[in-house]
Amino acid sequence: MNVELITALLVIGGAFLALIRAVKGPTTYDRVLAVNVFGTKTVLLLALLGYIGDRTGFLDIAVLYALINFLATIALLRFVETRRLT
Amino acid sequence: MSDPVLLINVLLLVLAIVAAIAAMWTRNLLGAVMLMGIYSLLLAVEWANLFAMDVSYTEAAVGAGAATILLLTALTRTGSREKEGPKLHWSALITATVTGVVLLYGTSDLPRFGDPQAPATIHVSPQYVTQNVGKVDATETDRLEGDFGDHVPNAVTAVLASYRGYDTLFETAVIFTAGICVILLLRPAAGQARRREDA
Amino acid sequence: MLNYLADGLLLLGGFFAFSGSLGILRFPDFFSRLHPAGTSDTLGQLLILGGLSLRVLLDSPDAGLSVGKLIAISLLLFITTPASTHAISRVAHLAGLKPWTGEANNDGEATDE
Repeated sequence: MNVELITALLVIGGAFLALIRAVKGPTTYDRVLAVNVFGTKTVLLLALLGYIGDRTGFLDIAVLYALINFLATIALLRFVETRRLT
Repeated sequence: MSDPVLLINVLLLVLAIVAAIAAMWTRNLLGAVMLMGIYSLLLAVEWANLFAMDVSYTEAAVGAGAATILLLTALTRTGSREKEGPKLHWSALITATVTGVVLLYGTSDLPRFGDPQAPATIHVSPQYVTQNVGKVDATETDRLEGDFGDHVPNAVTAVLASYRGYDTLFETAVIFTAGICVILLLRPAAGQARRREDA
Repeated sequence: MLNYLADGLLLLGGFFAFSGSLGILRFPDFFSRLHPAGTSDTLGQLLILGGLSLRVLLDSPDAGLSVGKLIAISLLLFITTPASTHAISRVAHLAGLKPWTGEANNDGEATDE
């Protein structure tokens, strides 16, 4: 039960709380915010899991997902704002 | 699989089930799209945890990125709430249950996970484990200098790209053709496109 | 000694990440939920990734590539998380969402759909 595992469990707990907000959130913007936070937690979780499992390939996925998370959030916001994507 | 990895696997799968049930349950389609994005993201982390890097990349890029944007594009053409259906759809429930039971019964005939006597382990795996895939002219000095000489260092990549190479080639052709056909079908008429650009 | 510093950074970052999410769940209104999402989450990821890169450096001194990737992830998240939070708040404000004024029955729920 080393420190990285405790941190990973804390990050998973945070992701679960953000998931609850994504399900509950009365407005759409709550859900968009919760998805963005969930994506950030996932990037942290990937980096931690890469250290725990001793695989360096996880960091590449984390970089990829950090970019994709931002892109998906902006796409969602543009859709919500104008009901169009172009 | 050591214990911390197993614990994290179980937690990720529980989260994925919660996200999937929530995505099906909600009537708000935009919320459902976001929850499906969360679901495929959790699956991407799960594939990474099982050391399948290629599948994880694909799931992250396609599921959380492209599929979410595709579903949003579909949402621009429909309303944003699902209309109320009947409370319990009996024929769908029975069909899904029967199919699921038949599939589970079929998988009981497969060899156990990691069985050393299975045909896949005896004939296919050693070839990829000893990194003989595509070994044509690579010598020992090539490998020491960092040039893999058509070796594939990752076993999952070896199976996907070499053992299933033709499969991947034709899948790519099929998806490309499908994309072209959909773009041709959904193209607006010429006048309509010019009017939309002026707006 | 530096190992304990890395441990401390990781645990502190985990605490901030968890408490940020707890704030997102518990705060009463959308605009107040932006605070834990934007600031606490960013601080948490800075600490966690900083602690992780220190730990990687201490484990094997020639892990330069991994440390470089971790710093790249941290920089990306540091730039994009506040930008996303600003974009979300801008869209919500332009759509007419009103902040919670502290009255007893106003829960901040906007009739959006």
